[in-house]
Amino acid sequence: MPIISADLSRTERVEILSAEGVRDFSIPVDLPEEQLLWLYRKMIELRLFDERSVKLQRQGRLGTYPMILGQEASQIVPAACLRPKDWLVPTYRGQGAYYARGMQLRYSLLYWAGDDRGVKFPDENNDLIFAIPVGSHLTQAAGLAWGEKLKGKGGVAMAYLGDGTSSKGDLHEALTFCASMKLPAIYIIENNHWAISVPREKQSAGKTLAQKAWGYGAFGVQVDGNDVFAIYKEVSAAVARAREGRGPSVIECETYRLSHHTTADDAGRYRDASEVEAWKRKDPILRLRRYLESQGLWDAEKEARLQKESLAMLEAEIKAYESFPPPNPLDMFSENYAVAPWQLIEERAELQKILETRTGDENLAVLPPAEGRFP
Amino acid sequence: MPELNLVQAINQGLHQAMAEDERVLVLGEDVGLNGGVFRATEGLQQKFGADRVVDTPLAEIGILGSSIGLAIDGFRPVCEIQFDGFLPSGMDQILCHMGRMRNRTRGRNTVPMVLRCPHGGLIHAPEHHSESPEAYVCHTPGIKVICPSTPADAKGLLIAAVRDPDPVVFFEPKALYRAVKGEVPQEPYETPIGKARQARIGSDLTLISWGAMVHTCLKAAEILEKEGASAEVLDLRTLAPLDLDAILASAHKTGRVVIAHEAPNMGSWAAEVSALISERSLLSLKAPVKRVGSWDIRMPLFRLEKHYIPDAERVLSAARAILAF
Repeated sequence: MPIISADLSRTERVEILSAEGVRDFSIPVDLPEEQLLWLYRKMIELRLFDERSVKLQRQGRLGTYPMILGQEASQIVPAACLRPKDWLVPTYRGQGAYYARGMQLRYSLLYWAGDDRGVKFPDENNDLIFAIPVGSHLTQAAGLAWGEKLKGKGGVAMAYLGDGTSSKGDLHEALTFCASMKLPAIYIIENNHWAISVPREKQSAGKTLAQKAWGYGAFGVQVDGNDVFAIYKEVSAAVARAREGRGPSVIECETYRLSHHTTADDAGRYRDASEVEAWKRKDPILRLRRYLESQGLWDAEKEARLQKESLAMLEAEIKAYESFPPPNPLDMFSENYAVAPWQLIEERAELQKILETRTGDENLAVLPPAEGRFP
Repeated sequence: MPELNLVQAINQGLHQAMAEDERVLVLGEDVGLNGGVFRATEGLQQKFGADRVVDTPLAEIGILGSSIGLAIDGFRPVCEIQFDGFLPSGMDQILCHMGRMRNRTRGRNTVPMVLRCPHGGLIHAPEHHSESPEAYVCHTPGIKVICPSTPADAKGLLIAAVRDPDPVVFFEPKALYRAVKGEVPQEPYETPIGKARQARIGSDLTLISWGAMVHTCLKAAEILEKEGASAEVLDLRTLAPLDLDAILASAHKTGRVVIAHEAPNMGSWAAEVSALISERSLLSLKAPVKRVGSWDIRMPLFRLEKHYIPDAERVLSAARAILAF
């Protein structure tokens, strides 16, 4: 009888790569150089995307946007431990997780511009749309994992949540299901210390959030969430255990939200700049770059080339995003039911009539054809 | 009299409600140090302390259930659910407990609490931040439901809600938070719960509405005036209990009624208003009652919200149709 995940739980925090970029080689991590460099590239691209998204919002070219700054490692690395057919359900601050699985950034921008056409994942992936009411996806992830267990082909489900969401009852029920049924689920708690204005210590008096898992009989461990090696080691092990039928895991990535909650928030109202400055020194990208340089894997020239390539890619994505024609309002009526009921047929006809009388670029004649299935 | 916007009026009402009764507590996500994401609770924690103005963990069931417990235990909690789309995760407490405790305990335990929650769309917010869930709550016995459209009513109704012996759900139209201004008396006062307001007097038809849609109806009424039709606008203010007398009096006077609101139309609170008029005032009607609501699909992301929530044009075409009936 193989040992179940819960029995492996540890109380000590996993740290491998220090803030100075010094790696503890006494802890083995099976992360090939090529993949490490790929993770570094994705983190750089994500950071540049994040910076540009904020600028686009400030220029009125994007809607309210939730910043990722500082959470690049905890976003990218867990999702990168999955296969495309494994299920991924991130949080609303989850564009990085989707991006690690190949989602095009033009669609992330489209989504945060308030356009439903932005919900577009690579066809081969089992990516699920995140839930805006936080935590409501956690039991769904249990169901996804349950389904994978029934199929018996080693598929797993991974859901992300934040430190704030760890307070919601949804986590209790999700872990209850997953542990009692030994479901192949992995929960990534991105503890970024702030749920809008409410600090981590107001969410729980527990020493860690990972330890919540223990009571349910699930594996739980806290890792340095700005440490690519620590996250990779624990998450890939959790995924492997899940595939083998050894039950669910909770990996708490302790990181930090360096920016505001969203572009609609002002973090200066509720937290000290000194705290932010201290966390800037623990930056996940900076420490990885230092490590790569110390190993002769990276240098200023390679960095400059990566920055240039990333910016060019980003500009192309922004251009593609801004080249989408305006959505046809009739799109709203598509894909509500497999077969639309009578009131939708009536209401769509009413909207169509209205749009036929509109002037300028709102007139139905100049809009692109409606997308999706109807009725 | 000073001019305030809606969120300032609510803020003033909360300050005064807390000052006059030390049993009043304010709790919710980000309501303390941050003063609420819309600044409705700005300054309360500084003034009344962190024991009375509490930043709770992120947990809607916790916020609602503990408010019910505090209310039973003699306090007057005013809790906030940060957005309408976050209300459903606490619905167990609202549907199964908040409005039923008095009756289940045969009056032994009561729940004098207020649940404040922003309401409605048209502020370009992310998904699940623009919902109109009033019908779910209005359908639930034992709860009073308010949705004001002016700063003066917002303050007066909020104070009345805090003083009320039963649970009150107080929906705040977020599109109006800063968009409407009006004179608000400085002293604490109550606007009576359960009383509608004649926002405009007319004789040819009645536009019934609540929240932000009242202003859309007023716009439609102005256009109708130019077209030669005199529209009355009835601002319900309180959705439960409905002001039946005011609704029937206006229906009787004009004989033509349009009910406009932001929620999907089928099974909406407009359906209840329509049914009451048809049941009790059928012979005074000159045309069928018409409902104008959002389409019976989920609220789209914000780029299409103005095509989803009725605008003055949609209210107008309904009005014209019943005028021509």
